[in-house]
Amino acid sequence: MSRWVSFGCAILLLSLFLHASFSALEYQWNWESALRYKKKFADGWIATLWISALSLFFAFLIGSLVTLCNRVRFLPVRYLSMIYVELTRGTPLLVQIFFFFYVVADAAGIQNRYVVGIAIMAIFSGAYISEILRAGIEGVGESQLLSAKAIGFTEYQTFRYVILPQALRSSLPALAGQTANLIKDSSLLSVIAISEFTLNAQEVNAITYSSFESFFPLAFGYLILTLPIMRLSRSIENRLRFET
Amino acid sequence: MKLELESVVKTYGTQRALDSLDLTIEDTMCIALIGPSGGGKSTTLRLLAGLESPTSGTIRIDGNEIAHEYWQLREYRQRVGVVFQAFNLFPHFDAITNIALPLEKVHGYSRGKSLEKAGMLLDQFQLTNHRFKKPAELSGGQSQRVAIARAIAPDPDIVFLDEPTSALDPEMTAEVLEAIETLIESKKKLLIATHQMGFAKHAADTVAIIAEGKLVEVGNSSQVIDYPRTARAQKFLKAYLKF
Amino acid sequence: MQPFGESVNGVMRLFSFLPYLSKISICGLGIALMFLLGCSKGRDTQILVVGMELSYPPFEMTDENNQPTGISVEMAQALANRLGKTLRIENIPFAGLIPALKTGKIDLIISSMSRTEERAQSISFSNSYVHTGLCILVSKNGDSHSIKDIDQPGAKVAVKQGTTGHIYANANLKNAEILLFDKESAASLEVAQGKVDAFIYDQISIYLNWKKHSDTTRALLNPFNSESWSIGIRKGNDGLTTQVNQFLADYQASGGFDQLGDKYLSEQKREFKKLGFPFFF
Repeated sequence: MSRWVSFGCAILLLSLFLHASFSALEYQWNWESALRYKKKFADGWIATLWISALSLFFAFLIGSLVTLCNRVRFLPVRYLSMIYVELTRGTPLLVQIFFFFYVVADAAGIQNRYVVGIAIMAIFSGAYISEILRAGIEGVGESQLLSAKAIGFTEYQTFRYVILPQALRSSLPALAGQTANLIKDSSLLSVIAISEFTLNAQEVNAITYSSFESFFPLAFGYLILTLPIMRLSRSIENRLRFET
Repeated sequence: MKLELESVVKTYGTQRALDSLDLTIEDTMCIALIGPSGGGKSTTLRLLAGLESPTSGTIRIDGNEIAHEYWQLREYRQRVGVVFQAFNLFPHFDAITNIALPLEKVHGYSRGKSLEKAGMLLDQFQLTNHRFKKPAELSGGQSQRVAIARAIAPDPDIVFLDEPTSALDPEMTAEVLEAIETLIESKKKLLIATHQMGFAKHAADTVAIIAEGKLVEVGNSSQVIDYPRTARAQKFLKAYLKF
Repeated sequence: MQPFGESVNGVMRLFSFLPYLSKISICGLGIALMFLLGCSKGRDTQILVVGMELSYPPFEMTDENNQPTGISVEMAQALANRLGKTLRIENIPFAGLIPALKTGKIDLIISSMSRTEERAQSISFSNSYVHTGLCILVSKNGDSHSIKDIDQPGAKVAVKQGTTGHIYANANLKNAEILLFDKESAASLEVAQGKVDAFIYDQISIYLNWKKHSDTTRALLNPFNSESWSIGIRKGNDGLTTQVNQFLADYQASGGFDQLGDKYLSEQKREFKKLGFPFFF
């Protein structure tokens, strides 16, 4: 069977499943009321786009910095970054959002919730990114380090020309996944009334009592953001592919 | 080349790879280290190449003791070349960059000169058409020749080869041995750890047999291989002599 | 997710080995099964499922053993007894109550929900049992005294999602920025910390939240509109509506509401008397 036919079959089965599930409900579909609020959806989507992009940028900075700190000889710095990573990865994002916004930011006098929201997402994702990078770095074979030693590279040169390129390549799928996670996790910022995509969809739902008519565009909107990232990552991986 | 190893001990954790090895070789161009696997010849080679430091004992090459201190050891490594059994090329760079990069970054060549020299070496080893291929696209023999080119590119004092053909089939082994022969002909100082007895006998001047972390026998290559004096050496070479 | 993906893979692999006809018949069976499962909705009609959000003391809350308790819970129990059914309470976020009622997951909404025109388009309401109105929680500094003072450009007003405060703010506040919260505690914390200027919610909740943040907030307890709480019933379920209204009338007559007021709201009763507000049952 050609690929398109198989793909079509898969979509057909999925649609049948969805249709069967929904026809079991006595639900009156109310698309007009949701459509009335399309500006709300659009505004929220753009807000999520900006928040995700900025958080992602800073998350990579933080993640890279922390990965480097993990290898530093000065132990207090190393322990500090380890504690940061363990705490951040081990506690719920919701708790971190409340803590950072209502305690830390309040004490520091930072009022702008968007700034704090971006900072929270960056700090949260940074921990995961640093672990991904760390695994990538440690995954570079011993023989590579031996080679670098034999040709007289310094530690810095070894890191820059041998470890880093290979680590980045092998981390790429996990990094793409983490990016998609960040975009979706940003929906939790709604609890501090940041007017992003999820909150806006929830508001439309609250006003019009049409849950599915609000949540399907929500899911679709997130897909538009995450799918290209996965595709981009795939194509980069293919271009840089080599067997080790 | 003059080698002096005095009471060299190398331990890895509880394992004693070299057990007070004493070896002196005077004035020779090409040395072959042979011996059973795990007997210590690779370890000896690594110590001589400056890749590791002995747990105790001294090593002198051409009268100069190999330092233990990080920066001096690194300088020493820049003056020698090493070829490994598993090629150890950088998989994310193509062949010509694998050779040119150390020249540029470690030995201070300009980008142009390093690429030029790398190209010349690739021509020399009949790899001109493969210069832009990544190691994954090269055969074992081709990869090893690139590795040899990388090792000799900075004109090292000595070239160390750690079982360079052990991972190759007979055809590729022949390719690589030919390449090594050209090195010897161009008067490069060589130290090779190998299982290829024929090659050791014909190409090397001196042969040393190392087993169980100790020196078993050392001397002129044809003499040691054809007429081993010690019982241990005879036992080791029995298989070769038989077939 | 991993084991799920692998088992799906395994099933698919197994599937591909079967001859073509079997595949078609299995597919067909699968789809038929899904429709059948979907269509069957036999539910136990001896259970009365009531939806409420259990984060609204003293009307809807949970006790130390995580059991639902409060004024609305006792009302619901009395109603269930009257109808001869067993009570089951579903804890659903406020904004999700009406969708849950519409899709049949619950039979009634007893969650201190105000009757509004818009809501009445989606569901039916019983007669009202509480009369109250929207009030405001403001920060101690600042001199707002009415809803008009709040509606200034640059002001930030907090509301809880899906409540009449939210609806009122959307419809009437022209200048202030509206911030949506799903937890009333977060909204009142923001007023206390000065992150927002006001929180619009019902009278009793504003009073309770003010007590929690008494040094940092003020409560404007004069309602600026009037609302009445009713029980929510699915549209078309007229029989149930009549029964509920009958129950409410009887409950009022037999002093049920007075008892609840004394049990749960005695302090508020006294305070409101002092402040001169009518108590609302």
